[in-house]
Amino acid sequence: MSEKPVVLSLDKATIQFGGLIAVNSVTFDLYKGDLFGLIGPNGAGKTTCFNLITGVYKPTSGSIKFNGKEVGGLAPAKIAEMGICRTFQNIRLFPALSVLENVVVGAYLRHKTSVYGAYTYLPPAINETESLKKDAMDLLEVMDLADMAGSRSADLPYGKQRRLEIARAMATKPDLILLDEPAAGMNPQEKEDLQATVRRIRDEFGKTVLLIEHDMRFVMGLCERIVVLDHGEEIAQGSPEAIRSDPKVIEAYLGEAV
Amino acid sequence: MKFWGVRGVSILAGLGFAFGLETMVSAGLPNIYRLVVLAGLFITLAVSLNLINGITGQFSIGHAAFYMVGAYSAGFVSNQFYAQQSLGPQLWLVVMMVFGAFMAGISGFVVGLPSLRLRGDYLAIVTLGFGEILRIVVQNIAPLGGAYGMNVKPFGSPPKAIWIVWTLAMVCIAVCRNLLRTAHGLPFLAVREDEVASSAMGVNVPKTKVTSFVIGSAFAGAAGALFALYDTFISPDTFKMDVSFIILTMVVLGGTGSITGSVLAAVALFAIPEWLRTLQDPVTKVAIQIPGPSLVATMLAVIVAVALVKLIQDRFYGDKGKKLGLYVGAVGAGVAVQFLLAALLKGVPQLAKLSFEAAALRMVIFSATLIILMLLRPQGILAHHEFSWAWVSKLFGRRPSEANA
Ligand SMILES: Nc1ncnc2c1ncn2[C@@H]1O[C@H](COP(=O)(O)OP(=O)(O)OP(=O)(O)O)[C@@H](O)[C@H]1O
Ligand SMILES: [Mg+2]
Repeated sequence: MSEKPVVLSLDKATIQFGGLIAVNSVTFDLYKGDLFGLIGPNGAGKTTCFNLITGVYKPTSGSIKFNGKEVGGLAPAKIAEMGICRTFQNIRLFPALSVLENVVVGAYLRHKTSVYGAYTYLPPAINETESLKKDAMDLLEVMDLADMAGSRSADLPYGKQRRLEIARAMATKPDLILLDEPAAGMNPQEKEDLQATVRRIRDEFGKTVLLIEHDMRFVMGLCERIVVLDHGEEIAQGSPEAIRSDPKVIEAYLGEAV
Repeated sequence: MKFWGVRGVSILAGLGFAFGLETMVSAGLPNIYRLVVLAGLFITLAVSLNLINGITGQFSIGHAAFYMVGAYSAGFVSNQFYAQQSLGPQLWLVVMMVFGAFMAGISGFVVGLPSLRLRGDYLAIVTLGFGEILRIVVQNIAPLGGAYGMNVKPFGSPPKAIWIVWTLAMVCIAVCRNLLRTAHGLPFLAVREDEVASSAMGVNVPKTKVTSFVIGSAFAGAAGALFALYDTFISPDTFKMDVSFIILTMVVLGGTGSITGSVLAAVALFAIPEWLRTLQDPVTKVAIQIPGPSLVATMLAVIVAVALVKLIQDRFYGDKGKKLGLYVGAVGAGVAVQFLLAALLKGVPQLAKLSFEAAALRMVIFSATLIILMLLRPQGILAHHEFSWAWVSKLFGRRPSEANA
């Protein structure tokens, strides 16, 4: 494990909203190619952790390093450019845009021609648009959404909207992809498909994955390492087996039944 | 090279249209010269506001301010230097247009900055406030003519402007449309749809917003410069809030985000009041009078018809043909109500005595049309659709591939 390079490293990352410490001194490392789970009860601070990593909030103290560079407090767009992309717990697609256009917005981050070409509609801009569309189409193929490329994204069923968010994030060509409750609202079949897709993202595309999920079967079946948060504090870290039998985790989150 | 062929033809067609309009209007219909100039300017204003409002989603409603910046800066500079220049009136007009666009672009940058922090209504108030403050400041600057306004050189002999005005309108349309046809326009749309998601996807949200403000206001400023030099007189009253609202209405009515919609609505909103102004009997040339009973009956009939149409729109699903039949029925019911009521109300002596001049009712008709449209089609005439040749050939039952063959 330790020969692999560290991709993301949180060191005592902390954020305080008024009197509430939403994330308190959280420390963990992600290695390249990790499939990493972040779990904990409602309000534990999981989404806030994502917001710290992606620059939505600036940490009150502590450091967040991505590929060795400090990212805490940088602008979200800058962090996306460096190679971290995410999905949102409460789906945030571009509703009026088509499925394909949503993905092209993601792909646009890696475009090359200048925007001035677009105002005059010259061949470089046109060709680039075509190639971005083609890349986006390939990703839709991977996410099994190609047949709906032309529909308005708001018209997709819930499960497909979640898959589209992943496709859009993948289009930015990130090193690290953060998935916030990707299986929420999916039926068992969709969840199973999603597990396979997430594995493929890691194995085939070589991405490092950090995901939040409440469905324990989903997390335990997919992730190789897990961090557990409770009230902003990190209460455990380790393999699924270790987490499942950790008394602190059972008390705070899993309950006796698991 | 097919690409350049198509481009060449469309640019030539555009210029041909502009010069054709120029020749036609100045030869045959000199009295509508001013109207055609203003129509071109309002198309530019509506489409450029649509870039800010409809495409980038920044609720800016003080567009007349940029129009004013362009007009006053071009007017002032033209007065200072017109005598010394040796470019000729038309080239001078083009130079002033570019200058007006530049100055308005700068002010667009300044007004765009609050859009980085403010959203929705708050931004709307800032943009409107900017326009009003600017107007009042100009009212108090003596070298700009203060509240009396300013004559702009060349006085009294406006340069032939139609082709320049309409070329500007076409360039403005082309820029917005080109942007939407390539991937480069998507960040603008993404910012409109969801700022948080946009920035997470790496879209530079502040830059995108400010860019749209700068481009949009630069086009408005270019239109303002042309207006100043064409009309040769500008005053703060020309750029009051209601001009901003008319431009905004054009954008909303056409369908926010649809360039085609903005163009159509700009022409319609501009032409309807002008046309109503001239309503008169074609034979006797006397202004048309509407008797009181008919007026009241018509108003009530319109309300009945609109209510029925709205009901059908909301409550009936399915078969299109059947729905169309119901709409026709609703309109028929309106007409019937009109005839019936008109006949009945003739019996009311106080009402039968009254009559109104049609032209005087033009603002009433105008606002009623707006209200009805917003009730029945709140997404605007064209919603987010655009005109395209593929759509035209579909309309005539031919597929584009066949049309090309
Ligand atoms: N911007 C904010 N201002 C104030 N409090 C906040 C803010 N964002 C989050 N919080 C608080 O921080 C705590 C952690 O919230 P967070 O959304 O991270 O929880 P979570 O672990 O993702 O929960 P869930 O499983 O329900 O999604 C909550 O108590 C929340 O109310
Ligand atoms: Mg959450």
